[in-house]
Amino acid sequence: MSRYRISMDIGGTFTDAVAYDEETGQYQAGKASTTPGTLSVGVRNAMSNLVDDLGDLSFVVHGTTQGLNAFLQRRGEKVLLMASAGAGDVYQIARGNRTKLYEIQYRKPEPLVTRSDTYEVRGRISSGGDEIEALNEDDVRAAAAAFRDGGYTSIAVALLFSYENPAHELQVMELLEAELGDQVSVSLSHRLAREWREYERTSTAVLDAYTAPIVRTYLEELSAGLAGDGMEVPLHIMQSSGGIITATAARDYTVQTLLSGPVGGAMGGVSLARLTGHRNLICVDMGGTSFDVSLIVDGEADVSTEASLEGFPLLMPVVNIYTIGAGGGSVAYTEAGGLRVGPRSAGAAPGPACYGRGGTEPTVTDANVALGRVDPNVFAGGEFQLDADLATTALETLGSELGLGAREMAQGILDVVNAKMAQAIRTLTVEKGIEPGDFALVAFGGAGAMHAAFLAEELEIDTMIVPRFPGAFSAWGMLETQLRRDAARNFPVPLAQADRQALSTLYTDLGAEVAAQIRSEGVGEDAVHLRYAIDARYIGQEYTLTVPVADAEVVTTEGWPAAVKASFDALHHSRFGHSNADAPIEFVIARVTALGDLGRAEPKPLDAVTDAGDPVVRSVSFDGTDHQTPILDRDGLAPGSQLDGPVVIAEPTATTVVPPGWRLEVDSYGSIFARRETEE
Amino acid sequence: MTATDPAPTINPATIEIIRNALTSAADEMNATLIRSAYTPIIYEMKDCSVALLDADHRVLGQSAGLPIFLGNLEACTLAIEAQFGREVWRPGDVWIMNDPYITGTHLHDMTVMEPIFSRDEVLLGFATSRAHWLDVGSKDPGGTIDSIDVFQEGLRLAPVKVVDGGQQVESLTQAIGRNSRFFHGAVGDLGAQIACCHTGARRLPEIFERFGTETVLTARDEIFRQSEALERAFIASIPDGDYRAEGTIDNDGIGDEPIGVRVTVTIHGENMLVDLTETDDARPGPVNCGATQAIAAARVAYKLLVDPDSPPNGGSFRTLSVEVREGSMVGAVEPFPVEWYFTPLGLLIDLVVKALSDVIPERAAAASYGDSMVIFVSGVDPETKQPWLHVEPTVGGWGAWNGSDGQDALINNVNGSLKDMPIEVLETKFPLRVRHYGYRTDSSGHGEFRGGVGVSREFELLTDATISTWFERSDTPAWGLAGGGDATGPDVVINPGTENERHALKSANVALKAGDVVRTMTGGGGGFGDPKDRDRDALRTDIATGVISEETARTVYGLED
Repeated sequence: MSRYRISMDIGGTFTDAVAYDEETGQYQAGKASTTPGTLSVGVRNAMSNLVDDLGDLSFVVHGTTQGLNAFLQRRGEKVLLMASAGAGDVYQIARGNRTKLYEIQYRKPEPLVTRSDTYEVRGRISSGGDEIEALNEDDVRAAAAAFRDGGYTSIAVALLFSYENPAHELQVMELLEAELGDQVSVSLSHRLAREWREYERTSTAVLDAYTAPIVRTYLEELSAGLAGDGMEVPLHIMQSSGGIITATAARDYTVQTLLSGPVGGAMGGVSLARLTGHRNLICVDMGGTSFDVSLIVDGEADVSTEASLEGFPLLMPVVNIYTIGAGGGSVAYTEAGGLRVGPRSAGAAPGPACYGRGGTEPTVTDANVALGRVDPNVFAGGEFQLDADLATTALETLGSELGLGAREMAQGILDVVNAKMAQAIRTLTVEKGIEPGDFALVAFGGAGAMHAAFLAEELEIDTMIVPRFPGAFSAWGMLETQLRRDAARNFPVPLAQADRQALSTLYTDLGAEVAAQIRSEGVGEDAVHLRYAIDARYIGQEYTLTVPVADAEVVTTEGWPAAVKASFDALHHSRFGHSNADAPIEFVIARVTALGDLGRAEPKPLDAVTDAGDPVVRSVSFDGTDHQTPILDRDGLAPGSQLDGPVVIAEPTATTVVPPGWRLEVDSYGSIFARRETEE
Repeated sequence: MTATDPAPTINPATIEIIRNALTSAADEMNATLIRSAYTPIIYEMKDCSVALLDADHRVLGQSAGLPIFLGNLEACTLAIEAQFGREVWRPGDVWIMNDPYITGTHLHDMTVMEPIFSRDEVLLGFATSRAHWLDVGSKDPGGTIDSIDVFQEGLRLAPVKVVDGGQQVESLTQAIGRNSRFFHGAVGDLGAQIACCHTGARRLPEIFERFGTETVLTARDEIFRQSEALERAFIASIPDGDYRAEGTIDNDGIGDEPIGVRVTVTIHGENMLVDLTETDDARPGPVNCGATQAIAAARVAYKLLVDPDSPPNGGSFRTLSVEVREGSMVGAVEPFPVEWYFTPLGLLIDLVVKALSDVIPERAAAASYGDSMVIFVSGVDPETKQPWLHVEPTVGGWGAWNGSDGQDALINNVNGSLKDMPIEVLETKFPLRVRHYGYRTDSSGHGEFRGGVGVSREFELLTDATISTWFERSDTPAWGLAGGGDATGPDVVINPGTENERHALKSANVALKAGDVVRTMTGGGGGFGDPKDRDRDALRTDIATGVISEETARTVYGLED
C-alpha cells in the first residue's frame, strides 16, 4: 500500500527525514546519526525511523552531500583534463582575478587538476562552429595511454567552442571508449553546460569528473539497498536548481546534485510561500556554526544561471544561498579595547565554551545559554549537555576587559551579532533591489528561531515564521518540489539582427529534448510544463538578465521584438534601478526548463496535540531585564493558540525565542507566526 | 582625542554596533553603485570606491573597492570647501569633479559627492563615490597612449553641482554625456553614482537618529581611537630607521628614458613617513599623477603591510605621513598628462614593501609583475562597417614570500577584481584567433620559493586592424627578496619568428594586416630565498608542470640527476 511520501537530507551531525502520510494528511519528522563512512546507512536508518515497510512508499526524494563532501575534503577522483591545443592553461589561469583586494600574499584556490594532468589535443572549431582543423586522433590516444599509466580514475574533456559544435568532444569520447572501454568516466563540457566561456565550462566539467564516479557509486548502492528493503518507487535526487531528477537520470548529470542539500531549505520557503500566502520571504538557516540566507521573491526561488564553489565556477542553474560569516560559533574578543564578534568562529572544535571541549572564548551560543534562552539540557536534541557555568566564566573573563558583567556581556554579544547579521541581510537586499520591510522572515535550523525576532526588529520586518520541524526544514522542502531539467544554447546576436525563425526552432528542439527527458522519468504528458527564457543585455554590457519568453512560437510574431525589449527594460529597471528605452539589446543564451509535476502533499490541519501540562517558567533576560518566561514544548502548542511574548518554545532540534513586544499564533498546520506589535 | 585617552563610558557593544553600522552604510552605498552602474568596468571590475565621511571630512566607513582609491575621497570635499567656504554645502545638492590635480587620478575617474544633513539641517557628513567611466572624450577612443597634456585626455570638470536642491541639472548632464563616445554609459554611470550618494545620505541620518548624536560622535572617536591604536602598536614594533628602495618605469610613452621612482620610508617610534620627493620630475608623456593619488598609493602599501583586513576609517593612517614634491612625476601640476597615472604608483607600492621587507619579512612579498599590461585592438568590420575596439589588461606573476611560491597569472595589485576575457568571447566578438594562451616557462623569479609565472598570449588578426600597447616594467622587472632571483620582464612581439618581427612594449596606433600575429608576454613575480634551497620535490613538480625548464633547474637551482 503506497501511502508515504518521504525525504531524506544529510547534515553534518544528523540525517533528517520527513514523511508525509497521504492517509492522515500529516507530517512526521525523524532523524538518525549521519554515518560519515557510508552515508547510505544513516539515510536508511532515518527512513526506517518513520516508515516500517519501504513498500509503503509512494514517493522518495533525497538530498545527497556525497559529491559535495568529496569536493570539500578534496578526496575526489584523480582527473585527467583534455583541452584544446594552445588553451591547456585556461583552467590554471582561472581568469586571473582575485577576490581579496588588500592581500599581498594572495592565493588562488588550488586547482583540482594540475598542469601535468592536462593534455592538449590538436583540432579546432571556430567561433561560428566550423571545423578549422580536424581533431588529431593521436593526441587523444596519447591522453588515453596517459590515463592508463597515470593512475587516473576520471576524465574531463573541455574543447574550445564545443558549445557551438560538439563534434570534437563526441569524437574524443568515442576514441576514449575504444581505447579504455565504455566503463571509463568521461565528463564532456558541452553536455554539462552548453554555454560559452571556456574556463567556466572547463571548471564545470572538472568538478563533474572529480565527483561523478563517487556520486554514481553512492546512488547505486543506496538504490540497490532500498530496493532490497522493498522500495518499489524510484529514488529522486534534489538538484542545485531546486528541482529533482531520478537517481538513474542523475548518473549523467551528477554535478547538478552537488548543492543538493542546502537548496532544500529554499524550496521549503517556496512551499511555505504557497501555503501561507506570504509571497516574499527571507529565509534564515542558522546552525551551530553557519548562517545561510535565501530569498523567495513573489513565490519563486532566487535562481542564478551560474554559481561558485570555493572559487570554482559552475555553469548550471543554482538556487542562491548566501553564507554570512556570523553564527552560533562566532567568537567574541577584544581588539584595541573594542568589542568584536566574529567573523572568526569556534567551529565544532573547540566550539563554544559551554560545549566543554576546551573553548575559553565566549561565543554567541554561550551568550544565549547565559541569558537563559537555551536549555542546556536539550541542546541538539539532548545529544549532549551544555555547561552554563563554562559559558558564564568565559563571558566574565571577556567582560572584565570591557567593564561588563557576564549578563551584560552576553546581551552585548547578541546585540552585536544580531546587528551584523541583519546588516548583511540588508546589504544583500540592496544588491537585489528589494526592501526587507516588505518580507516575512522564515527561521529554521537549530538556532535560526533564537535570533530571528531580533533580526526582524533590525530589518523592520513585522512577521516571523517558524515552520514545523525547523531542524528538518530542508528535508521538508524537498518533498514539495517538481522534476526539473534544464537546457541552454548560446544564441549571441543583437535583437535587431536575430533570426527569430531559428530561435523558434531552437526553442522547439530544446523543449522536445527536455520534455522527453522528464517523460522518461515517468511523468505523463499533461504533467510536463515548459518554461522558455532568453539571457539578454544592453549591447556593450557584460552581465545578462534572464527574460521569460511565453513559448517557442511567440518569438516569430511581429510584436515580439518590441515586447521582449520592453520586458528587458522593465526587468533591468527593477533589478538595477534604471533602464534605457533607447539602447538596443542583444541576446546571449536561450534557455528552456522542463518541470514535471509529481503531485504534492495536501496536508490536513493538525488535530489534537499532546497535553503540555503546566509550562516551566524560567528567568530569561531581554535587553538587560529579567523576565519570568514560560518555556513551552512545541508539541504542546495547539493550532490556533495565541500567546504574548516573552515566551520560549523548545523542541528537540530547535529553540524559538519570542521576545516581549511580539505576539505569536499557531496556524492550523502547526507553523508559528510571530508578529511584532508596532508602536502607535 | 589621542590613542592614550581612557575609553569613553558608553557600552562597548553600542560602539561596535555603530562601527558596523557605519561600515555597512558604506557597503550599501557600494552595493547601490555596483547594482545600478551601466558599464562593466564598474560593476564587474569594481573600478570604483565609496566612502562615508563625517562633517570634518574624516572617513566613517569605506567599502573595499579599487585599492588605489583608498582613503582619498575626502580630498575632493575638502577642495570644494576650501574654494567655496563651508557655507556652500546645501541639502539636496550633489557635486561632481574629475580634475586630476585635485583628485590625483585620471579624467576617467569621476568623483560624485553629496553633503548629508540631519532633519533639522545640521551638516552630518558627506557621501562620496568615485568610479571609472569608459570614455570621457579623449583624443583616442577609450583613452590615450601618447597624450602630451591633460587637454588631449578628455573632459575635465572642476567641482560643479550636478544636482541642485534635489533637481538634477539637465543641461550639465547633457553636456557631460555628449563629451563621451558612450553617452548612455556616461549618463547611466552618473545616475548610479548619484543613487549611491543618496543611499549614504539616507543611512547616516538614520544612524544618528537611532543612537543619538552624542552617542554616535562619542562612538566615532572611540572607533577612530581603536584603529589608530592598532596601527600605532604595529608601527612601534618595526625597528626605527630609514629604509630606501628605488626602481624605474620604462619610459613615459613618448620618450625612451627610464624614469626613477624613489622611496624612503622612515620609521620613528609609532610613526611612518613615506618620502617620495626624490622621485623624478613630471614627464611630457602620460605617466604623471596628482599628489593625492601618490598619497593614496602610499596608504595602499601601508595597508597591505600594517592592517589588510579591517575597513579603514578616520583613525587609520594617522601614523602615516607622505611627502610629495610638487612638480615631480607623482606631484603633477597642470597641464602634465595623467592617463597612465597608476603606472608609477604600482611600482611605488611594491617599493614601499621592498623597503620594509627586511624588517617585517612576515608581512612582505617579493615584487609582482607590476603594471596593467594593456593592449588595445581596433578595426572596422568589413561587412557591417561598424568600428570595434577591444581593450584588455593582462595577468602576470606575483612575488613569492617566506613560506610560499608567488601566484601564477594573476591580475596586478592596483586593479580591482578584473577577469581576463575568455577566448570564446574574444573570438566571437572580434576578428581574432587566439593561437596560444598559457604560462610562460621560466618567467618567474627563482628562489627557495619561486615567483609566479607570467603568461604568453598569441593571436592572429583575421582582418586588418590597429593595435596600441602599454606594457611596462621591462627595465625594473619584479625583484626577488632574501636571495631570490628577479623575474623575467614583459615583451610584445609582432609577427614573431618572421623577418617582419618587431618588439612593441609601448606603441600607439600600429597598423597591421590580416594574418599578422601578435604575441604579448607578461613578466613573472620575484623569488624568495636561495634557489639552491628549493624543495627538490617542489622543483621536480615545477619541471613536470613545465613552469621551470630542466635546464634552469640544473643551472639555477643546482638540480643533480
